[in-house]
Amino acid sequence: MSDVLTADESIILQMVVGLLYPFMLLFGFYVILNGHYTPGGGFQGGSVLASLFVARYVVYPVDDTDTEALHSIQRVFLALIVIAPSAVLFTGVVARNPQFRSLYLTTMDVLIGVQVGFGLGVAVLRFAFFQGVGKTWHL
Amino acid sequence: MRYIASAVFVIAVFFVVTSVTTRYSAELDPFMYDYMIENFEDDTHAKNAVAAILLDYRMYDTMFEALILLTAIIGMKQFLPGAADLRARDESEPVPQTESTQEHGDE
Repeated sequence: MSDVLTADESIILQMVVGLLYPFMLLFGFYVILNGHYTPGGGFQGGSVLASLFVARYVVYPVDDTDTEALHSIQRVFLALIVIAPSAVLFTGVVARNPQFRSLYLTTMDVLIGVQVGFGLGVAVLRFAFFQGVGKTWHL
Repeated sequence: MRYIASAVFVIAVFFVVTSVTTRYSAELDPFMYDYMIENFEDDTHAKNAVAAILLDYRMYDTMFEALILLTAIIGMKQFLPGAADLRARDESEPVPQTESTQEHGDE
């Protein structure tokens, strides 16, 4: 069975994932940015963004992503998630200026979405490469 | 023996917790529910009640929910050896070829 392709050798899978990649990014940010109008929001859209890491890992199981940098970005965004409501929501700035309410909701959705996306990405990559090499699958 | 004891302990805790939550139930007056359903649009200008509760009424909950993910990843990084560490260890002291490295890509 030496002619059986693995997932990272299949040109069909590589092309399809390459085509779907921008649409996955777009759908993730659509879910995040419309979080206060439609079902969805930061956590759900962030999970969609994390599927980008999974899709890349399926067709290219090479450990060349700097998960430390991703984790640093996640920590920065978590700090912003704590700082932003402390500065504007708990102090009553948003309550006194109702025109900023939508901006506040969108900003918090984006912060939470990016934080969850990078966090789940780090989790997936660390579990995928914890033996030192990634696994690939026979099609 | 320790594994059996800890397994018995975990199962016992599971049954205690589930029996407590199923035996005692209380019907509360849903005044918060009514208030939020009626007023979330004026209060937060969100069209989605879930987003209104998540990002305005219950903002503390959301903040610490985001912290849970960070805590999980910190624990995971603490207990899983990193790929770079493993590769450095393999290069410094070559280990004999084991079965687990041969069946790479078998699934």
